Amino acid sequence: MEYVNPEGLRLDGRRPMEMRQIRAEIGSVAKADGSALFEMGNTKVIAAVYGPREVQNRSQQISDKALVRCEYSMANFSTGDRMRKPKGDRRSTEISLVIRQTMEACIMTHLMPRSQIDIFVQVLQADGGTRSACINAATLALADAGIPLRDLVTSCSAGYLNSTPLLDLNYVEDSAGGPDVTVGFLPKLDKVTLLQMDSKLSIDLFENVMQLAIEGCKAVANYIREILLENTKQLEYRRGL
Amino acid sequence: MREIQLSLNKTQKIRLQRALEKLESLSSKVNSHASVTIADSIPVSYEDGVLKGHGTLDFNGELVSTVCGVVERVNKLVYVRTLRAKYKPEVGDIIVGRVSEVAQKRWRLDINYSQDAVLMLSSMNLADGIQRRRTALDELNMRSIFEEDDVICAEVRGFQYDGLHLQARSQKYGKLQRGQLLTVPPYLMKRRKQHFHHLDQYGVDLILGCNGFIWVGEHVEARDDMVEDQEKKPELQNTKSQKNSMSLEDQERTYTPIETRQNICRIANAIRVLSTLGFNITAEVITETVNLSSSLNLDIHQMLGSEFCVLVAEGEAERRSLTKRKG
Amino acid sequence: MLHSKTFVKKTRGGKVNKQVREHYLRDDIYCGAPICKVCDSSAARLSPSASTILIVDTNVVLHQIDLLENPAIDDVVMLSIVLEEVKNKNMAVYNRVRALCSNSMRRFFVFANEHHKDTFVKEMNKESKNDRNDRAIRVAAQWYQNHLGGAARVLLITNDRENKRKAIEEGISAETIESYVKSLDQPNLLDLLVQPASEDVNMEEVEDLRPSKRKVIYAEHKPMSEITSGLHRGIYHQGKLRVNRYNPFEAYVGSESIGDEIIIYGRANMNRAFDGDIVAVELLPQDQWYEEKSLSIADEEDGEEDVHLVPNSADDAPRTTNVVQGSAGDAKIMSSRPSGFVVGIIKRNWHAYCGSLEPMPLPAGSGGTAHALFVSKDRRIPKIRIQTRQLENLLDKRIIVVVDSWDHLSRYPSGHYVRTIGEIGDRDTESEVVLIENDINSRPFSSQVLACLPSLPWSVSSEDLANPIRQDLRHLRVFSVDPPGCKDIDDALHCITLPNGNFEVGVHIADVTNFVLPGTPLDDEATQRGTSVYLVERRIDMLPKPLTEDICSLRADVERLAFSVIWEMTSEAEIISKRYTKSVIKSSAAMSYIEAQARMDDSRLMDPLTTDLRNMNTLAKIMRLKRIERGALTLASAEVKFQIDTETHDPLDIGMYQIREANQMVEEFMLAANVSVAEKILKHFPVISLLRRHPSPTREMLEPLLRTAAAVGLNLDVSSSKALADSLDHAVGDDPYFNKLIRILATRCMTQAVYFCSGDLSPQEYHHYGLAAPLYTHFTSPIRRYADVIVHRLLAASLEIQKLPSIFQDQPQLTSIADNLNYRHRNAQMASRASVELHTLIYFRKRPTDTEARIVKIRANGFIVFVPKYGIEGPVHLAPRSEKGSGEWFVDEQQQKIKKMDGSLSFSVLQTIRIHMEVVEPQPNRPKLQLTLI
Repeated sequence: MEYVNPEGLRLDGRRPMEMRQIRAEIGSVAKADGSALFEMGNTKVIAAVYGPREVQNRSQQISDKALVRCEYSMANFSTGDRMRKPKGDRRSTEISLVIRQTMEACIMTHLMPRSQIDIFVQVLQADGGTRSACINAATLALADAGIPLRDLVTSCSAGYLNSTPLLDLNYVEDSAGGPDVTVGFLPKLDKVTLLQMDSKLSIDLFENVMQLAIEGCKAVANYIREILLENTKQLEYRRGL
Repeated sequence: MREIQLSLNKTQKIRLQRALEKLESLSSKVNSHASVTIADSIPVSYEDGVLKGHGTLDFNGELVSTVCGVVERVNKLVYVRTLRAKYKPEVGDIIVGRVSEVAQKRWRLDINYSQDAVLMLSSMNLADGIQRRRTALDELNMRSIFEEDDVICAEVRGFQYDGLHLQARSQKYGKLQRGQLLTVPPYLMKRRKQHFHHLDQYGVDLILGCNGFIWVGEHVEARDDMVEDQEKKPELQNTKSQKNSMSLEDQERTYTPIETRQNICRIANAIRVLSTLGFNITAEVITETVNLSSSLNLDIHQMLGSEFCVLVAEGEAERRSLTKRKG
Repeated sequence: MLHSKTFVKKTRGGKVNKQVREHYLRDDIYCGAPICKVCDSSAARLSPSASTILIVDTNVVLHQIDLLENPAIDDVVMLSIVLEEVKNKNMAVYNRVRALCSNSMRRFFVFANEHHKDTFVKEMNKESKNDRNDRAIRVAAQWYQNHLGGAARVLLITNDRENKRKAIEEGISAETIESYVKSLDQPNLLDLLVQPASEDVNMEEVEDLRPSKRKVIYAEHKPMSEITSGLHRGIYHQGKLRVNRYNPFEAYVGSESIGDEIIIYGRANMNRAFDGDIVAVELLPQDQWYEEKSLSIADEEDGEEDVHLVPNSADDAPRTTNVVQGSAGDAKIMSSRPSGFVVGIIKRNWHAYCGSLEPMPLPAGSGGTAHALFVSKDRRIPKIRIQTRQLENLLDKRIIVVVDSWDHLSRYPSGHYVRTIGEIGDRDTESEVVLIENDINSRPFSSQVLACLPSLPWSVSSEDLANPIRQDLRHLRVFSVDPPGCKDIDDALHCITLPNGNFEVGVHIADVTNFVLPGTPLDDEATQRGTSVYLVERRIDMLPKPLTEDICSLRADVERLAFSVIWEMTSEAEIISKRYTKSVIKSSAAMSYIEAQARMDDSRLMDPLTTDLRNMNTLAKIMRLKRIERGALTLASAEVKFQIDTETHDPLDIGMYQIREANQMVEEFMLAANVSVAEKILKHFPVISLLRRHPSPTREMLEPLLRTAAAVGLNLDVSSSKALADSLDHAVGDDPYFNKLIRILATRCMTQAVYFCSGDLSPQEYHHYGLAAPLYTHFTSPIRRYADVIVHRLLAASLEIQKLPSIFQDQPQLTSIADNLNYRHRNAQMASRASVELHTLIYFRKRPTDTEARIVKIRANGFIVFVPKYGIEGPVHLAPRSEKGSGEWFVDEQQQKIKKMDGSLSFSVLQTIRIHMEVVEPQPNRPKLQLTLI
């Protein structure tokens, strides 16, 4: 299958180094302490953050830092085939764990001892790169909830098909079975906090692909910053003196 | 960015846009550069020495924000005031909370903080008003004072090893009944001298809790009366059954009139609108909003419609520009 | 850069499924015309002076690809929608168009109209996909017209009347391909033009003046929907049609649903299917499963068996069916071979065919259009009707023709002429035909490929010597033994007696991977070529000549880089230790087999080199014995060797290839090296190793051998390779050649060994039957086989001295490389054989000969004989062909004998007879070798 044609265009008309259109919206869940919607092309993810709040199960309370929990689910209507069981399978458990660990690494949990932070992410529409979109949405939601973070975490994936590194794979490219590198990145600290790939790739190629994914993360970070700053300004001027 | 989630038609959209832009232009002169997001570095002059406050972090000698908010500087202290965040208690804050649990000699209250607050039995004025050691009997009767899910008004006493402590050693604190509890983002509340408001013309009490919980309820005439009342028949208060029968009678006697109920709703909706728009919530603004709605002859439910929302926004813009000019 | 997106819905499988895909429209797609001032012209492909820019529609590309490939057509804009449609319809044409678009000599530009913001069209309500695409083409044409303004004329080429009408209405200039070509005023281009179907009817009437006018000859193909449902219900069976190479009226369809091959007899049942087509077949009722036609040597119409080389494996040999047995009325065998007929063709495998025109009288008044029948060199292909304006030129030429269509009303498919190769019978022409037929790329290497070569003169540099991965073995007495005149020496040997009485034996293979780096154009080219091809008079190299003959070749007295396998062996040839290393060697002698043999045989010579040779020979003999004990087969082939006149390149003499001890010695060590390397790489890379396997022959495949053996009273045990090897050893007849003959017959029953990727099969299947080795690979000839290059890389990676190229991460791609290698390897062999056959013919053209031959197969009207001296095989007819062998001759199946009715004469299988060989020309320009009984 030809994923990049000789003219250098991918199936959906992007060039190899281009991301899909990204869009973010803060405060989409009124009830939550922080919430956000994040779209990467047709992948659409909503995240809600509750907390820090009293730990529901006392036995899980940690005396010197906050407990972070995460639940990932996919809406039944998120894929082409209607899903029967949108959460609780191995895949969602794994992604929940991945998101939790990634977010926990940057939340300053020691500032909120004996409390709990719940992150709920749900995929409204899946078109590849859900993992990345979830992390981006969760970051926005956490920032919206006013939870202190060491740095923003942004994520982006990159793959390698037809001997070309491709940024931000969509579903069709993702299901091609080639390597798919998902990177979680702290732009200010310039550190990688998440790195996943479940196929083989030679090390020098891998570095190229990873570097590409990191570039993607940086682009996402710039966008997220813009959105957050704009949001903060809005809140501030609306509130008045 | 946060969008106001209303279904607006085209003209309303434009009007709202214009009003918001006006607000922006009014505030932008103050401190538009002070807004930061996570991991933005905060410019400081190190020669003067810096005290790192909340929401900041030292990163390779650079002062970096860890939250989204506005940079505030008080002498050497530099901190970031967060906007949308959980309530941060300060001693003496008047708060409204909801009982989440009745425990050993204490109530736990949800006050929109990262942990539940503790109200010790001993920090309560007893019904009989006598200062004495709390007996086991008092402990057993705690539920007769506050039960789970009761709404309570109290004051922040301070932090102790086991969390945040409250006190309610005044007659103005205590259980709140016959009204509505509203929750708004705490950053919209300002600490003021007065948090208890009696809106005479509506016969309504308004308690603006610093934690973003707002109580709108039927006006209770001087609580001292209650104290007297309770002093007269202290024994009645002690048995639950009697109290219940009493309150049934009470209810019949003090049945809240429909006008008061409507007023409560009107005020509550005014607060909701303000909260949706993200405007600072003070008693004056609330009254103004209520007046606006009454002057327009709007039904209570119409207050939550998009048209009123736009009107409020325009009104607020007008008001602020006026105060600005005066100032 | 990102623009709006639209959504496309698709259905798939049985259920309706809404699929949403993003579709980005861009503003950075350029028109490709250098004259354009708006667009970035750095990637422009069209010529700056182009007065007319052509935009072609899908059908034009699909049908007129030969025309497009002609350099007269240039400055063409290929729309991406057209490419996509072509790709869906015909992958072969798509690849050709792609090649055109990437060819820097041609000015074809791909315009991604589907992603351009101005030329994207949305499907309208109730508009069919085709209409939408046609509209997209028109919109793109319009855009070009407006975009370029008056700078160039934009011409839409379409043969669709409706499309053309609409285009003209919309103000786009449009023309049909015919009128455009006519306007170019180049009559030879018209031959390349495919005639539209409507004219086809006229043409047939003109030519076919026979009374059987407009007769329906073939059954109509079933519509695709019916075929799909039929396949689903199990009425039809899908498979690839394989036409019998020796009998074009018989074909086989390997069907998975039946698990057996379905035989298809006759053109009517084949129903216009070509070799290689994917077809749907319906089974005939069981009582019709056997048909008379194939009994005798196929000669229904013009079928005939040619004299050809002795097959080397079952893959080359004529298909043996049980029909001969069937004639004895054995119902059980009949029912085991289902036969059927083609109801529809799922996928065509049409490509270009080499051949010549059937001789015909020149029509009066030359220059006009004439119709002619084309006969392909490949007998499996039916005659093809073509139309030409240059008949007199073409009659005695080898030409290339492609098929366009085959209507059920016409007996032959119709096609069109593509190009001329040369005169029939001319050696160069015929060699070229051999190459084209076997899909061998004999073009010179491109400049990009040559740029990858190290500069000449090349010598081992000090860096190479200093490289820690490279061991300096220059002090060893290394020598090579090869066929005389060999220039691409890729293996060398050494042998040292160790103080403890053991031997250190080293095999040094040219370190080709040091020069052929993965991912370079050189590597890509070598991957494609797969192997060097050895024809009688020339060699087509896999790698460019400087590498093949100089830099990599382990010539005497020069320092060369090598990859070495070094064993320590006891005097019983037990391997004690193995070592693999890259090295630098300096060969002390490059001997031919004859020289090496002479040295060993000359007992007076006692120099160290000769001692080494003798030691090695002793070891090799032991190793060979062990191998045979394990059950390796000693098979025989009847390879021939030509002596070629250096001036004229004509064959001077022909003789059997002689195998000496020295050959066997070298071969033995190469086998051992291959086995050692196979073990090593498989251990490190269990799923991505490239190995070579040889499947055990099935009993059915050995059937002809057993029958022949039984007829001469020989009992062969074929239960295992060991048993077969033993019984072959015991098959000693009354004459010395008998054993070899049996071995040759055994050889042709075997399939060929194949390359495979170890992850694709289970370890039991890795077995190499012929060598009786559990593992085998190719390591020793990297100069001429690409498989060895891959194995070199694997071995280097397993020694951790080099990184594994990224291609190895991709198992499917590795599998496809292995498939390509098998295909190329097979084609190379076919080409060599064809080349030998060609030269045999040239040789006998002037030399009618009487010689001795052996009967190998009995047929109804004669027998097939094998001529040991020349390694050829062919039919001897006892009766004139017209009489069909009926009457006086009688075949005894059991005894494999053919007798004259009166009993005066009888011939049995393996009998020696004398024949006369002569080249005859039954038709002008069609020489063939004829064998007749003396």
